[in-house]
Amino acid sequence: MTASSTLAPPAVDQLRELLHRHDLPDTDPERILALVESGRTARADAAELTGLAISAAAGLIAEEPAYAKLAARLLAARTADETREQGILRFSDSVAAAYAEGLLDPDFAGFVAAHADALDGLVDHAHDAAFEYFGLRTLTDRYLLRHPETRAVLERPQHFWLRVATGLSDTVAEAAALYRRMSRLAYLPSSPTLFNAGARHQQLSSCFLVDSPRDELDSIYQRYTQIARLSKFAGGIGVSWSRVRSRGSLIRGTNGRSNGIVPWLRTLDASVAAVNQGGRRKGAACVYLDTWHADVEEFLELKDNTGDEARRTHNLNLANWVPDEFMRRVEADAQWSLFDPKEVPELVDLWGEEFDTAYRAAEAAGRAVRTLPARSLYARMMRTLAQTGNGWMTFKDAANRTCNQVGNGGGVVHHSNLCTEILEVTSDDETAVCTLGSINLAAHVRDGEVDFATLGETVRIAVGALDRAIDRNWFPTEEAGTAHRRWRPLGLGVMGLADVFAALRLPFDSAAALALSTRIAEEVALAAYDASADLAAAKGAHPAYPLTRAAGGVLHPDHWPDARPTRPEAWAALREKVARHGLRNSLLVAIAPTATIASIAGCAECVEPLVSNLFKRETLSGEFLQVSRHLVADLKRLGRWDAPTREAIKRADGSVQELDNLPAELKALHRTAWELPQKALIDLAAARAPYVDQSQSLNLFQASPTIGRLSSMYAYAWRAGLKTTYYLRSRPATRIAQTTVSSNLIALAPADDSAVACSLENPEVCEACQ
Amino acid sequence: MTMLLDSGMDLTLRPMRYPEFYERFRAAIRNTWTVEEVDLASDVPDLAKLSPGERHLVHRLVAFFATGDSIVANNLVLNLYQHVNAPEARLYLSRQLFEEAVHVQFYLTLLDTYLPDHEERVKAFAAVEHIPSIRDKAEFCFRWIDSIGSLHRLETRADRRAFLLNLICFAACVEGLFFYGAFAYVYWLRSRGLLSGLATGTNWVFRDESMHMEFAFSVVDTVRAEEPSLFDSTMETEVRTMLDEAVAAELAFARDLCGEGLPGMNTADMRRYLEYVADARLARLGLPPAYGSANPFPFMELQDVQELTNFFERRVSAYQVAVGGTVALDEAF
Repeated sequence: MTASSTLAPPAVDQLRELLHRHDLPDTDPERILALVESGRTARADAAELTGLAISAAAGLIAEEPAYAKLAARLLAARTADETREQGILRFSDSVAAAYAEGLLDPDFAGFVAAHADALDGLVDHAHDAAFEYFGLRTLTDRYLLRHPETRAVLERPQHFWLRVATGLSDTVAEAAALYRRMSRLAYLPSSPTLFNAGARHQQLSSCFLVDSPRDELDSIYQRYTQIARLSKFAGGIGVSWSRVRSRGSLIRGTNGRSNGIVPWLRTLDASVAAVNQGGRRKGAACVYLDTWHADVEEFLELKDNTGDEARRTHNLNLANWVPDEFMRRVEADAQWSLFDPKEVPELVDLWGEEFDTAYRAAEAAGRAVRTLPARSLYARMMRTLAQTGNGWMTFKDAANRTCNQVGNGGGVVHHSNLCTEILEVTSDDETAVCTLGSINLAAHVRDGEVDFATLGETVRIAVGALDRAIDRNWFPTEEAGTAHRRWRPLGLGVMGLADVFAALRLPFDSAAALALSTRIAEEVALAAYDASADLAAAKGAHPAYPLTRAAGGVLHPDHWPDARPTRPEAWAALREKVARHGLRNSLLVAIAPTATIASIAGCAECVEPLVSNLFKRETLSGEFLQVSRHLVADLKRLGRWDAPTREAIKRADGSVQELDNLPAELKALHRTAWELPQKALIDLAAARAPYVDQSQSLNLFQASPTIGRLSSMYAYAWRAGLKTTYYLRSRPATRIAQTTVSSNLIALAPADDSAVACSLENPEVCEACQ
Repeated sequence: MTMLLDSGMDLTLRPMRYPEFYERFRAAIRNTWTVEEVDLASDVPDLAKLSPGERHLVHRLVAFFATGDSIVANNLVLNLYQHVNAPEARLYLSRQLFEEAVHVQFYLTLLDTYLPDHEERVKAFAAVEHIPSIRDKAEFCFRWIDSIGSLHRLETRADRRAFLLNLICFAACVEGLFFYGAFAYVYWLRSRGLLSGLATGTNWVFRDESMHMEFAFSVVDTVRAEEPSLFDSTMETEVRTMLDEAVAAELAFARDLCGEGLPGMNTADMRRYLEYVADARLARLGLPPAYGSANPFPFMELQDVQELTNFFERRVSAYQVAVGGTVALDEAF
């Protein structure tokens, strides 16, 4: 009461008016006002009040997801005020203001000025309603252009979408088509494109694959420089270190012995951490190592948080580049030999039978540094996965066997990228590059079905935009530019698959889900190839096209003889078109993790199940709570979305399996990633693999991993023909005591002596705690 | 049959009397973290963005953290380790001692990073003597450490009750209230996108402290099962008085930190939060609530929910240390 008497009436009235203007169902403006009153300071001005109202609404999302929309609208209103105060009303005003501050490319600003009326006419702020709070918050904090000194926002969300669309287009019509998709959150380019489209340095690519340094000092230092430059402009780096000699190898110049790869990777670690991507996020890199490299065991310890800090790299990600021969020896429980690349330099550039032959010959010639049981190394790999989530399993032979760039003298795939979805050839003077974008499948569901016609259209628009990005792209290193212009690879992916399954009531492990997921992948590939062939007809095939398998008539699905395309006639027509015109792009499809853009779009990440029905997102802009909207809708239908249910879900870490009286159908539908059989995730990935010509960032989940289960799982993934896998996600061994769940509701579990004894004596086989 | 608080130095692990304590020890090991994993880089520019009131709050907060964990460690060594007579419980306490040391190292690193000025650092560490709101909390702790300082064997009923009060004090009031209060400020800052490095380290400290508290309460549960008569109405009265004092001390600290109030954080809300937490501690001890307050801080809800971190942005704190088994190719997964 004292609060309202001292509060400047105009400020609170304004806020009340704003809250009531967005009168959304299931939200209570007066409740927000009460929270604001309680949290405000005596001298609160309008900006502080709006800020508190946004926080208050955001804090209620876990209780009522409708507050996410309200918080988003308050935030959008604040951005509108902030731009209006600077005289920015139209799109062209925003571009002019940002250009005047030196943030934009002159040609881009000129194009916008020349077509100001047509472009301004495209903007529709009503599309702001598509945002949930978390997405708009991320966009506002990190993506919208800001004044270099005042840090005031220079564009509204719809201005932002149109800027990116225009930055990727040659004509107003192209910009309009792309803007329509993006403003409805139906297609989103990846973060570097969102950051840099229309900007001074239009570095639009997400991924760079840098070939292993040659086994010499100058080459190693040259790689640090390249990686730092690539990292500075928001790219993630994949780099191999397999050509560099192992520990104990003779250094002829000094007659000393090498310390192996670890000290070099320490330097890389420090270098990556030092590069800040335009102040927006830290650099990130993944180092790949061939499984035969003699330093592989030390490599697997790089992320341990115990042991000698001088041999640890906390910023790098790690991945194993595994040949089939290794997996066969694991299966056969045979020995495995480790080599110094200085002694056997040919192994790095070989794959398939040629690799197998050379590897066995080197063994027979006694050139191995050391031999150990293959299963002992495999167990070490599994342990690293369990302990750090890192040490991703990627399969060299599957990657090369199916890559369109490999085959007719094109080259060799030596490793993948930071997120294991890109597979492109590299060499000492070619850094592979990929520009990514993802289609939000959730935005393509109409009347309980996937709208394949619209999906195909979105794919064509996306391929056009991704292809134009190649010509606009500014490359931080010459090695990157060279490769990109020759191969013109694209990485078109999808996100929101879990939302589609939920909307269509398909459990992740059902046969119908598998069929639909595969059909989606097939339609995306068909439309993408068709669009690329059309571009080839109009603008010419990419320069290295003659080196590709496609030039020899082999398309990616052909590597999967068991694949059963649902539209053989469309594939036949496509083959004819490709034979006539070639392809504008050597590769087209890659399923990236989409962490940030999925949160902007408010959909589930790529092809992944939900990790929990209730989870928080930690980002640079703070922490936010998300609730599965599908679950809330179902519970509301049952009249069960109430405080006790919410507490029960929270106590169960976002699981609904122990909720009383929940129909089995709903329990099956709302299983989390931890509760689904991982075999189903691998089967889904394997079934879509024929239509993904690069790869997929496939996370796997094991709440309490054991070596036995992990080794079975990854061997299965390899046998299923997956090219790559990504993180192994596990859960904390202990957890924070919940502060906001009534503690008297937490039943004190009576000590069950038999279970305790069992897990003590035989921790690995006891199922009680798994 | 011997009981947990019987004097002596029991060395027998088989048959194990309290396997639960041993399980807690193992679980704690799986959650090892090191200070080097916490990235404080983004905090430094954040500090420059703080308003004077917020800066005052942060400086007071780190000054409290600078000494808080050392006090807990001292009580552990001087009292708990001595009197909880089961080797499996002492395994857990040894592990807890290590964790307290890591926390001290974390807050030391934090202070060195936040306060580049040598004089200011010295002042921060001296806070326990100079700043009344911090000194009062420390004195509360010292009083309870000293309350059983002369006891070397828990011979009488009175001895055991005195020990239990010390144990409950450090679980419910120090780790369970003073630290929980301090954590709330950290999460309030994070809810505004500030000091994410502090929040990350605090997440891990919080996880550890939750486990310490739960261990202490499970010792209480065990003693209660073995010697129910120790828990009478006198004990209840003493616990309630102790919690009242702790809430008052923490509230004085809150007044010092919040001053006239900051956007989203003020003494009135903090009081409700502390009362809410104190009620939760009473409930854990099987006692009726004293205050009946509801949690006023929505950002604390976030704390209860699992994290999903984009590795471009933060380190993931969820991975386990220690995993067992051998290679198999036919297990279900």
